Amino acid sequence: MVSITPLRILALGFAIAAALVPRSAAADETCNSPYMANLIKGQEDFVYVWTLGVEGLGDGQDKLVTVDVNPASKTYGKVVASVSVGERGEAHHMGFTDDRRFLWAGGLSSNKIHVFDVAADPAKPKLTKTITNLGDKSGWLGPHTFYALPGRMLVGNLSNVKDKGGVTGMAVYNNKGDFVSSVPMPATDGGDGYGYDIAINPSRNALLTSSFAGYKNYMRPLGELIKDGEAMKNFGNTMVMWDLKALKPKQVLAVPGGPLEIRWSLAKGDNWAITAAALTSKLWLVKQDKDKKWVAKEVATIGDPSKIPLPVDISIRADGKGLWVNTFMDGKTRYFDLTDPEAPKQTYELATGKQVNMISQSWDGKRVYITSSLLANWDKGGADNEQFIRGFAWDGKALKPAFEVDFNKEKLGRAHHMKLGTAKLRPA
Amino acid sequence: MTFAGKLASAALLALAFPALAHPGAVATSPLEFTPPAAGTYELPPIQSVPEGEVLDASGYFRPFADYTRGRITLLGLVYTRCVDAEGCPRATWAFSAVRNLLRTAPQLARRVRLVTLSFDPVHDDHQAVAAYGQRVRGRRDGAEWHFLTTRSRRALAPILDGLGQDLRVAADSSAIPGTEEFTHTLKAFLIDSEGRVREIYSTGYLMPQMIVNDIRTLAREISRSR
Repeated sequence: MVSITPLRILALGFAIAAALVPRSAAADETCNSPYMANLIKGQEDFVYVWTLGVEGLGDGQDKLVTVDVNPASKTYGKVVASVSVGERGEAHHMGFTDDRRFLWAGGLSSNKIHVFDVAADPAKPKLTKTITNLGDKSGWLGPHTFYALPGRMLVGNLSNVKDKGGVTGMAVYNNKGDFVSSVPMPATDGGDGYGYDIAINPSRNALLTSSFAGYKNYMRPLGELIKDGEAMKNFGNTMVMWDLKALKPKQVLAVPGGPLEIRWSLAKGDNWAITAAALTSKLWLVKQDKDKKWVAKEVATIGDPSKIPLPVDISIRADGKGLWVNTFMDGKTRYFDLTDPEAPKQTYELATGKQVNMISQSWDGKRVYITSSLLANWDKGGADNEQFIRGFAWDGKALKPAFEVDFNKEKLGRAHHMKLGTAKLRPA
Repeated sequence: MTFAGKLASAALLALAFPALAHPGAVATSPLEFTPPAAGTYELPPIQSVPEGEVLDASGYFRPFADYTRGRITLLGLVYTRCVDAEGCPRATWAFSAVRNLLRTAPQLARRVRLVTLSFDPVHDDHQAVAAYGQRVRGRRDGAEWHFLTTRSRRALAPILDGLGQDLRVAADSSAIPGTEEFTHTLKAFLIDSEGRVREIYSTGYLMPQMIVNDIRTLAREISRSR
């Protein structure tokens, strides 16, 4: 126990009194739920990579791959653990529980949610539970976004078990994995019923969702899909602002072209979110107008939309002043200056792979991680089907390669979503 | 608890909660949004409150259910030595603020209990939690506020596990029981009269006005079901 002197008592007292002023929540490494504890604001030790199994490659199963990313470690840039889940079910995204003890990872085709314990031994996650009742309990299919609520997980889905189209909803589970409730995406009053990402701003009681496509589209080979005019109509064109407490839709916003990842600015006093529309290659800003109504506004173009660069993931700086954008088709990583979120300006780009999908940055923005896989049937073929995680250092001017793990060579699979891990959990 | 420890805790709390020197004066900041009206939304049951045995501030062993059933309960877990500004002191501040807000609705306040349970039974014996309660409770009138502990860590474990409350010893802390520094996610649990958790609040969500709104929502649900 720390010895307590009168001066220390005074200092602690003032610190506590200052901190007790209610304030909006900070968020985790720039994109996670604001309810998450144990932020990693220093050097992360691991990157967990949710990886799609590939038939004939290694064990062919979906797996959680742990990569050591601490430069001070002897195994820096190496795979230190891999946990297979016993199936190949279109591994896609994942999210931590609010206490960062468990990592939930979804299968878009199996409709299963795999729960990994990452607290007992952060270097060697353990599969502790697989939730299989999402379809039965909610009717939804394709668990995509795992967004921590206090003591619960809010699961954003892509499809439904009935017709496997894009009409879907969200499901709530408690942290033990028991189903709590479900809520449909709005399909009237301008809503298309589609779903994708979830992002919360607690200080405004605001839950924002985006929309993509159903199982029938995301499981279809991309080359075949884009030739099917009718199927191409079945993509989301809306975002929805919800009353977070009530879990009721308040406003449907028209955002054409499949608005995907959502990032709220974490800067104190900011009250806006940004997203990228995949098919139209545009950045959209969502903010309140002077009457407190939420408005979605197109604010920038990503690459040449006529070439369909397909922006697939974005990562916002902790101070809200910059945004990374990965475009899958041209394999480029772009940086946008967000000093004026109404007019983002691209200031840098680099081809970081023949196909790139997810991008994550450390809290301080100095380290950037990129993976390669989008969907099993959408990834490129032949030599263009690179599968990797690549780590970069960012000095504000250029990305400098730091390490790479070749997931094909290591017989792991298709590298998709990433979450950062720490060997030393911080106080809540 | 040693005299020096009591003195230190009292000084810390007095500095951290200047309002507690003037009972009823715990202030809350205005919300930056208009919350949904009480009773217009659902609070689906999240989980059941576990069984267990607790030790009250008078030193009597009681079933945990005595404090989690029969009334709308706001339950928080703290340890009295905690100095993490985003942890226990924040929870206690929120409880004080909720109790203060409930004074404007005395009929509702009578249907509500606040419970603060220590997760440090080695240090926080019944006398320690009683002393803590005396320091932070403020005015006697208002919603009940109970301060509890447990016989041992073994008795506490199933309660923490059942609630899903994480608790770890900080990596750089002393390892001596009763003196170590804990790490935990701040959580407060809103429990209905049947012992079901209906809402969970953590740091970014600990808004006293919203908690009172949720309490009103549960109270109306009970009234409707009668």
